[in-house]
Amino acid sequence: MSDRSPGTDFLTAWRTPEAFLSMTVAQQDLLLRVARQHFLLAAFDARLEQAGCREALPVPLQAMLEGIRVFATERERAIRWEINRIQRAFHGTGLPVILLKGAAYHLRALPMAKGRITRDVDLLLPAADLALAEQCLLAQDWSAALSDPYDQHYYRQWMHEIPPLRHRRRMSELDLHHAIVPRTSRLKTDATRLLQAIEPVAGCVDVWTLCTEDLVLHAVVHLFHDGDFQGLGLRDLLDLDGLFQHFATQEDFWARLLNRAAELNLSRPLDHALHGCARIVRTPIPPEILRAARQASPASRMSRRMLGHLMERVIAPRHPDESHVDPLTALARSALYLRSHWLRMPLGLLIPHLARKWARRWHS
Amino acid sequence: MKIGELSAIELDQRLRSGLMWRVGPFNVRLRTAIPEFIAPFHRLYAHHRWLAPSAPEVMHFHPTLHPGTGLRRWWRPQVRFELDGLSRQAPFPRDHALPLFEWGFNHGIASRAHQYLMLHAAVVARGAQALLLPGIPGSGKSTLCAALMLHGWRLLSDEFALIAPATGLLHPLPRPIALKNEAIDIIAALDPAARLGPVFPKTRKGRVAHLQPTAASVATEEEPARPTWVVCPKFLPKAKAELTPVPGDFAFLRLSGNAFNYEMKGASGFATVARMIRSCPIQDLTFGDLTAAVALLEAWTRETPPP
Repeated sequence: MSDRSPGTDFLTAWRTPEAFLSMTVAQQDLLLRVARQHFLLAAFDARLEQAGCREALPVPLQAMLEGIRVFATERERAIRWEINRIQRAFHGTGLPVILLKGAAYHLRALPMAKGRITRDVDLLLPAADLALAEQCLLAQDWSAALSDPYDQHYYRQWMHEIPPLRHRRRMSELDLHHAIVPRTSRLKTDATRLLQAIEPVAGCVDVWTLCTEDLVLHAVVHLFHDGDFQGLGLRDLLDLDGLFQHFATQEDFWARLLNRAAELNLSRPLDHALHGCARIVRTPIPPEILRAARQASPASRMSRRMLGHLMERVIAPRHPDESHVDPLTALARSALYLRSHWLRMPLGLLIPHLARKWARRWHS
Repeated sequence: MKIGELSAIELDQRLRSGLMWRVGPFNVRLRTAIPEFIAPFHRLYAHHRWLAPSAPEVMHFHPTLHPGTGLRRWWRPQVRFELDGLSRQAPFPRDHALPLFEWGFNHGIASRAHQYLMLHAAVVARGAQALLLPGIPGSGKSTLCAALMLHGWRLLSDEFALIAPATGLLHPLPRPIALKNEAIDIIAALDPAARLGPVFPKTRKGRVAHLQPTAASVATEEEPARPTWVVCPKFLPKAKAELTPVPGDFAFLRLSGNAFNYEMKGASGFATVARMIRSCPIQDLTFGDLTAAVALLEAWTRETPPP
C-alpha cells in the first residue's frame, strides 16, 4: 500500500488533523484501523472535530466515527457513575477519593481526555487506609477480580496496589493504589509526598487528583513500569504528549516539572519520556528542557540511546493485516518487558515470579 | 457488479487479497484463503455488490478468517476469526468457516455500530413500511421472518433492527438468515425454491443452515423503512395463530429489553423506543404453524394501516 510504516500517517494526522482530509482513501483506511487497534479512534475523532474537519468527511465515514463517539461518551459517563458509587461506598468514613490516570484526566476536563477510552478507575489511598477502603467496597458488591491465590499474594506482598476489584453487577474494574511504584521497585518514590500535594476537583465534593506535576510524573512512570506495550504503549505515549502540550501553556510548568521529578527521584524516567515524546511523536518540548532533563538523569549515554531505540521499535504500530510480529520487534518487546520487571523487583524475587507466570501460561 | 457474477476462481483470488463488498450501510473488506468458505459464501451472498478497488472507499469492517495455528493447521484443522487483528471468538473446525464468519461479523456489528440504536429483532418490510419481530432466541423470529421474506416481504435483518435515532428509520442489513435445527426442514418444505446454504451439523447452536436473502431485499438495501408494526412472536407447538395487543408499558420492555446497545444510547435510545411504541400497534403472536402465522400477519398488516 505504501512504503511508509502505518504509524507515520497516523501520527501525522494526529498532530495535524487537516492532513487526514488530503490523504488517499487507502491511507485513511489504514490509519483508522491503526487508531482503532490502539483504542485511539474516538480520541482521533475528537481531534478531527476540534480542527473543524469532521463535516468535510464522506457520510459513511462520519457514521463510523459517530459509532465510536457514542461508545466513548458512554464510557466516560460510566466512569463518572463509578466515582459516584465509590463516593457512596466511602460515605461517612472520611476516606478521600483521589483519582489517578484516566479518571483524573476526565474529571479535570483536560482537553486531551476528549474521546479517551478509560476502562478502569484507579484510586490512590494512604497505605494505612487501604484495609478500610477495601472493606467498604466489598460491602457494596465489589469483589476480587483475580481468584488465584498466587496473584493475591503477589499484589499484596510486592505491588503498589491491592489485587484489582470488580463490581459484581456493573463488571467495572477498580484498582486501589498506595503508591505509584511497586514496594520492591528500584525506583523509590515517596507516596506521602504525593498525598501532601493533592488538589481538589472543581465542582465535586471530596474528590481529588494529584497536583499537575505529579499527574504528569505518574503518567511518565506508568509508561515504563506498567505499560505492556502491546497496543496501549502508543496510547500511553500520546497521553503524555497531550499532558505535556496542555500544561506547557502554564507559566514555569517545565521548571516545576523538572524540580518535582528531582524531589521524587524520578528524573531518569522523565528524561526517557521527554526524549521519547520529542522523538516519536514530535511533542514540542523546548530544547533547553530536553538538555536539562538529560543532565538531571543518572542514566548512562549508552542506556539512554538503547532505550530510545527499543521504545521507537515497540511503539511503532504494526500493519493490521500482519498478524505476526517481526523478530526484532518481538525481541525489543521482550527486552522492555524484562526491563519493566527488572525495575519492579530485585532478581531474587523476579526469577521465581517470571518462572511461575510462564509455567502457568504453559499449563493453560 | 454482484458477487454471484464472479466465477469461483475470481472470488477465491479476490478473497485472498481482500474482497471489498457492501452489505446494508457497511463496507466490508474480507480476507481469507480458507477453501471451505468460498462455495457457501458465493451462494449466500450472491446478490451483494462487490466494490472495485479502483474506486476505493473507507471500510467499516476488516474481518479475516485464518487457518488454525500449529498442529491445528493440519490435524482436525481449525479456522479463526479476526477483526482488525483482534480475535474474540473461539476457533471453529475449518469446515464451519461460514457460520464462524456470520457470528463473528454479528459480534463486530454489535460492538461497533453505535451510530444506530440496535434492537434485537428481525425486521421485514413491505415497501417503506417495516414490521419488527423482537424476540429472544427460540421465539421463532428467524423462521417467521424467513417465511415472510419467501412470501415477498423485503428482508431488512433477521437479527438487528438498526434504527437511526435522528430519523427513527430502520436501515436494512440484508444478510443470510441463520436457521436452526427443525426450522431448516420447515423452511425447505415451505418453499422448495428457497436458496439454502449447506447444513452445518453440531455447531454451538445445534444444526445450522443459512437462507440467502432475496435479490429484491439486497437491491433495496439502501432504502430505509419506517417502523409500522411490531409483533412479538412466540412459537408454541400446535398453537393456533393468534394476535393479542400488548399494553404500552409492556411493549416498551419488549423492544428495549434484550437490545444490543439500548443503555449505551442513553436518552436518545429511550426517546427512539418511546416514539415507536406511540406510533406502532404492538401485538403478541403465538403460533404453531408457519403458514397460518404468515397468513394472519398478511391480513392484519393490510387491515392495520400505517398511522
